[in-house]
Amino acid sequence: MMQNQIHLWAFLQGIGFFPTGWKHKRAKPEGVFHMDYYARVAQLAEQGRFDAIVFGDQLQSRGAGGRAPERLAMPTLDPVSLLTAMAAVTRHIGLVATVSTTYNTPEMLAERFGTMERITGGRSGWNIVTTAHPDTAPNFGATELPPKDARYRNAVEVVARACELWAAMDREGPELPQGRPVLVQAGQSPDGRDFAARTAEAIFCPAASIEAGVDFRTDLRSRVTSVGRNPDGVRIMPGLSCVLCGTEEEARAEHTAILDLADDALAIEYLSESLCCDLTGFDPLGQIPVDEILAKTLLPQGDVARSIVPGAEKGTPLGEFAANFMRHPRGHNVFIGTPEQMADMMIEWRDAGACDGFTLQPSYMPGGLEDFVGQVVPILQARGRLRTDYPGTTLRETLGLPAREAVTA
Amino acid sequence: MTRPFILSASVAEPAFAVPDHARAVLQAAEAAGFDLLMLGRSGERPFDAQVLVAWAAPMTTTLGVVATVPASKAHPFHVARALSAVDFLATGRTGWSVVPEGAPDGMAEDMIGAARALWDGWGSDTLILDKESGRYLDASKVKASNYKGAYFKVAGPVNAMRPPLGHPLLVIDGDDPIAIDDADIALVSDGTAAPQATKRLIKVGADADAAMLAERFESREIDGAHFTLNDALSELPQIGARLAALLAPRPAGNLRARLGLPIPSTASNQPGGAVIPEIA
Repeated sequence: MMQNQIHLWAFLQGIGFFPTGWKHKRAKPEGVFHMDYYARVAQLAEQGRFDAIVFGDQLQSRGAGGRAPERLAMPTLDPVSLLTAMAAVTRHIGLVATVSTTYNTPEMLAERFGTMERITGGRSGWNIVTTAHPDTAPNFGATELPPKDARYRNAVEVVARACELWAAMDREGPELPQGRPVLVQAGQSPDGRDFAARTAEAIFCPAASIEAGVDFRTDLRSRVTSVGRNPDGVRIMPGLSCVLCGTEEEARAEHTAILDLADDALAIEYLSESLCCDLTGFDPLGQIPVDEILAKTLLPQGDVARSIVPGAEKGTPLGEFAANFMRHPRGHNVFIGTPEQMADMMIEWRDAGACDGFTLQPSYMPGGLEDFVGQVVPILQARGRLRTDYPGTTLRETLGLPAREAVTA
Repeated sequence: MTRPFILSASVAEPAFAVPDHARAVLQAAEAAGFDLLMLGRSGERPFDAQVLVAWAAPMTTTLGVVATVPASKAHPFHVARALSAVDFLATGRTGWSVVPEGAPDGMAEDMIGAARALWDGWGSDTLILDKESGRYLDASKVKASNYKGAYFKVAGPVNAMRPPLGHPLLVIDGDDPIAIDDADIALVSDGTAAPQATKRLIKVGADADAAMLAERFESREIDGAHFTLNDALSELPQIGARLAALLAPRPAGNLRARLGLPIPSTASNQPGGAVIPEIA
């Protein structure tokens, strides 16, 4: 085993990390509706010796205030279907689907992932989410989401029951090559972190700086230890986006160019989605309409107030606030520079204990993934930090975990 | 166009969930000229067929892949999304067959109604994908279905596009008590009342007589045959060889075009499937 090996996951949902990504000249927004695109990007990730491809998911269509946004890439297709099709055209890469414990029964989950586990030859993973968007409930006959603590209590029971069902499926045959899918989690709150510590074999998180990464990983490893699990059996994989060019100056210019693909309308559309409140009728040069937003948003008012009140107090116009909001989508680290600098940064984070690897979120697709695999992967391999071949065939083997393990949830 | 003799079969072997076996069965079905391969059947569904049709999509080029969907162990929001994705991956070659699997009366019909409403929430021409103007889609073509059935209440819009087929082919097994009179295909047994559907396939065993099938097809009593397989790998080539004379070349296009199955006018609010704009 290489010392301080860097694990790589590819987060490939949609058409890239930036809301403007689909407009980039190298982006292929039509690709997400074609098998050729999924075959190409899955094979690229496998060529780059990534552990796994992961797709996020939502169970609601975009559309604040009942109006579908015209300028954002949507819809997103079902991740289990896309990943299972990608398995048919690859041999090693793991396939991790985000699926909700709130809007699936344990029986549905066990059947779906059990079949995926068999047909992928042991490359399946489940990113366990409890679903947080308020627009989801009416798609499942409910008026409101259950509160967060109830969702997490339910998730613990659902995962435990699904694991029992997988054990039964495995006994009946055909065998489940890993016993069950690899369990993955991304919760940030104390409830989410405790659940992850008891359950997950890999964890995503946003970490905007190396210090934030060290804090998160140290906290998670201590929670894992306190529930009697081995912290070395859990991979911490913060998100990482990037803009790569031959010089740092060119990369900065390219990053600016990507952000400049957003006009006011797109930026306000994205802000509307993020705040769950239609702002498209407001003047981009006017004040941030704080009272209207707080009255209309479907999200918890306190969370929304925290993100908009500081800007409003400074008198930032709505359009400018929206454009700034889009610079750091979802709080992940965005690396801007040369491939050599990026490899240095990744090694520094790994050696500092800020992560076990990274969940790459290409800024646009497929160009962002092509650049990383073509330019950064060979450097990491030459420095002995990234495998040049897969150690086995299952995702657990790829992650360096024991071949089979019972759940401790 | 020449009226096609539709050749269909169902596999329900647990081994179909294992890649080497599934690959061989899919290749055998395509080589034998089958139009439809149904994964699972009523009472025998040893896998999640919605997952396996996704895997089958890039493994096949002409075969229609039909997922059995249990009314009692699925939700129309998930089903509509999964089948939409698979229909894109398979470029318009998917079908579905709702099986009651212990569901209360009316639940299978409710599943069908809800999924159809979700697919109809997206217009065929919703996507624009114009980088210059920045318009990704035409918002006026996306609508909440607000479907309210006895079992399923689904607001929508679904977070999935209308499929290339518009709706995947709906296959109803006539031996299941499902009150749907506008399915695309009904599988019928001799001597039983058949549900209304655009096409009727007679359910037969692997040793069915080719001359008998040809005669009933010519008399327009049936539109093809559905074989219930027990050992798919050996039976598929034998059936293909015996029925080769009945199988005329198919026109190009998606599964509806190949088999002469336009969306029934009562089933959808629009006649076509999703169109993906070409980007220069």
